[in-house]
Amino acid sequence: MRGMLKFALLALGTLSAGGTAAWAAEPGITDTEIRIGDVNIMTGPASFIGQAVSVGSKVAAAEINAAGGINGRKIVIHTEDDGYVPARSFQALKKLIEVDDIFALNGTSGTANVLAMMPLITKANLPTVVTTAPNELVYNPVRPSVFTIGASYEAAFFAQLKYIHEHNEPKTPVYGLIRQDDDFGVAVENGYSRAIKELGLKDGIRLKYKKGQTDFGAELLQMREAGVTVLANGAIIASAANVLSEARKLGLDLQVADVWSEIMPPSAKLLAPAGYSFFVGDYIASMTDPAAVSWLERTKQYMSDTDRQAVNRYTFITYAGLKVLAKAMAACGKELTRACTVENLKKTHGFETGGLTAPISFDNEKQLGGTEVKVYQVNLADVSFKTLTGYTQY
Amino acid sequence: MRTGHFKDSYASLVALSDSRTAWVWTGLMALALLALPLLVGAYSLTLAVTILVAIVGAIGLNLLTGTTGLISLGQSGFLAIGAYTNGILLTDHGWPIWASLPAAGLVAAAISLLVGIPSLRLKGLYLAITTLAFSFIVNYLILFFEGVTHGSNGIFLGDVTIFGFDLSADRPLYYFTLAITVLVALGALNLGRTRIGRAWLAIRDHDIAARAMGIDLVRYKLLAFFMSSFFIGIAGALMSLQIRFINIDIFGFLLSIEALAIIILGGLGSVAGAILGTVFLTLLPEAIRLALSLIVDPNASTYSKYIYEIRGITYGVVMVLFLRFKPDGLIGLWRDAKKFFVNWPLAY
Repeated sequence: MRGMLKFALLALGTLSAGGTAAWAAEPGITDTEIRIGDVNIMTGPASFIGQAVSVGSKVAAAEINAAGGINGRKIVIHTEDDGYVPARSFQALKKLIEVDDIFALNGTSGTANVLAMMPLITKANLPTVVTTAPNELVYNPVRPSVFTIGASYEAAFFAQLKYIHEHNEPKTPVYGLIRQDDDFGVAVENGYSRAIKELGLKDGIRLKYKKGQTDFGAELLQMREAGVTVLANGAIIASAANVLSEARKLGLDLQVADVWSEIMPPSAKLLAPAGYSFFVGDYIASMTDPAAVSWLERTKQYMSDTDRQAVNRYTFITYAGLKVLAKAMAACGKELTRACTVENLKKTHGFETGGLTAPISFDNEKQLGGTEVKVYQVNLADVSFKTLTGYTQY
Repeated sequence: MRTGHFKDSYASLVALSDSRTAWVWTGLMALALLALPLLVGAYSLTLAVTILVAIVGAIGLNLLTGTTGLISLGQSGFLAIGAYTNGILLTDHGWPIWASLPAAGLVAAAISLLVGIPSLRLKGLYLAITTLAFSFIVNYLILFFEGVTHGSNGIFLGDVTIFGFDLSADRPLYYFTLAITVLVALGALNLGRTRIGRAWLAIRDHDIAARAMGIDLVRYKLLAFFMSSFFIGIAGALMSLQIRFINIDIFGFLLSIEALAIIILGGLGSVAGAILGTVFLTLLPEAIRLALSLIVDPNASTYSKYIYEIRGITYGVVMVLFLRFKPDGLIGLWRDAKKFFVNWPLAY
């Protein structure tokens, strides 16, 4: 009997020691902190995105830590710059995993960048919330530990063209598309094609351009020849501004649907001089949306002046990403593991972001949430954005 | 005692090294490289693989630009061709890596002959622009033939094994890349001491004089493109094995500029220079990161806001200062150091 008791105690001890050892081996967790990684565009022309993302993570972490952290552990953010170069994203994540010992990932740079990191994410079963690249290539096929927030460019363009068709359509509506020659451009064209097909629109012309092109004279002349009156402008930032500026030079009278990057103040200011009161479809609140205004007021204590200047839509979505990740981690209790976090993320349903996005649910086969889109229109007088629709699933 | 570089036979003139000490150091270096995975962590090993892959590419570019004097900005295109060939053959056609890797080099080399033809009439910046245009065309064609290349979706490489070793793991990939790098370096060094290497040098120094001496410019210039692109194609294939995802965004124009910077900083026309330049430029950002973390408080708000710009500027400043004070590159520095010790105590 004593022998059996001794054996049982030994077995219990071994099991509990094994259990503790397995938990203690969980990367990125100490008694006092949880390390969250962030691979971002901190240098180069697109660094305004990375800086905004960084502020979003920082504010969310500060807010969570001020409220006592996650079951007593503070969140610590480790940021690595990839300069928007996919090969560097791979190397940056490798450093975050191997040197900084992160537990989860919240910032993931652009689409090609997150795809370059995907083998590492999958291998480490790294809980990852993708907030800045809601591209189908990211969530199809589904990777078990990857959760994506955001609508596709396809949905955003469809939403805008539907709005224009229903509310602002010119007398002789002829639709035209200009888009980049990459995966992003393909997604834009998918939205355009869907609108043409489902809404029975007249497809005037479709043009592709090489990423980085600055002169769109030839393309806009073709648009004029085709009689285009509604332009789906799939160019971004400086290129988008050049497209509209060229259209203005040619005196084209257009309704314009733009990419959501144009909702950011610096981009909107580039586009505004052309004088087109363009539309944008976005799954994130605009800076002048009441949800964003309220967020800015509530979180100002966590931001410096320079942080505040960097805030844009990417700040809101990254903030929401870390909040949803934090909730999943908190539900694991004190013995936090990656597997448990992934399981809880999978169960996420109707997570409220205070209107920064539509409620986020990952309990679907794509592990994709916050896909509802609002349509905005720029007010040229002060380059602010008027909200035209609520969050709607397209 | 060794007294300088007096050579008394033709064989000693073309020997890779006539110094026993050099061979001993090379042996020690080889041992250190073999032991590296046992001594360093996974991230350092990743950096080592990155360096080895870049060395293969830099040696390839060095053959063309450093040895033959043909300036090329098309490396990103050849890298892409190598990576895509390897990815397509492995993923869509189930080839083994021992077959897809040389195929990647051969396809890049074959396509380079098309770019090489203009080089028969163009030199300097004109050739550079032609090769730059080529890299843009490659990107366009990759997107256009999406049925073969998967277009903008890119290609994920599955598990790749060789002799039962999984190349997605750090150590097997390191040893595999090291083996290829050694082969490429030895290949380039041996090419340099053959008739072909001497013909390339003659073309670089004065192509008209070289022609007058009986060197067939067409043949040797095309051969330079072929060999250079073969190595760069191999580098592209290795790059695809490391990242395990291929997409045209990975092969941006910046890669071509970085490759040129590597061979210029290392020292044009030298295999050792290409190796030194690669090691230097790959480790420089890490060294700057370490140095800045030691001298500046990482929590200082000004520093944390501008940290990435500070690192970038420091990187640029170090390169500019280096070229200002050591225009013959790292290999020049190495030769000076070697001369000092060989001639010591009579160094001048």
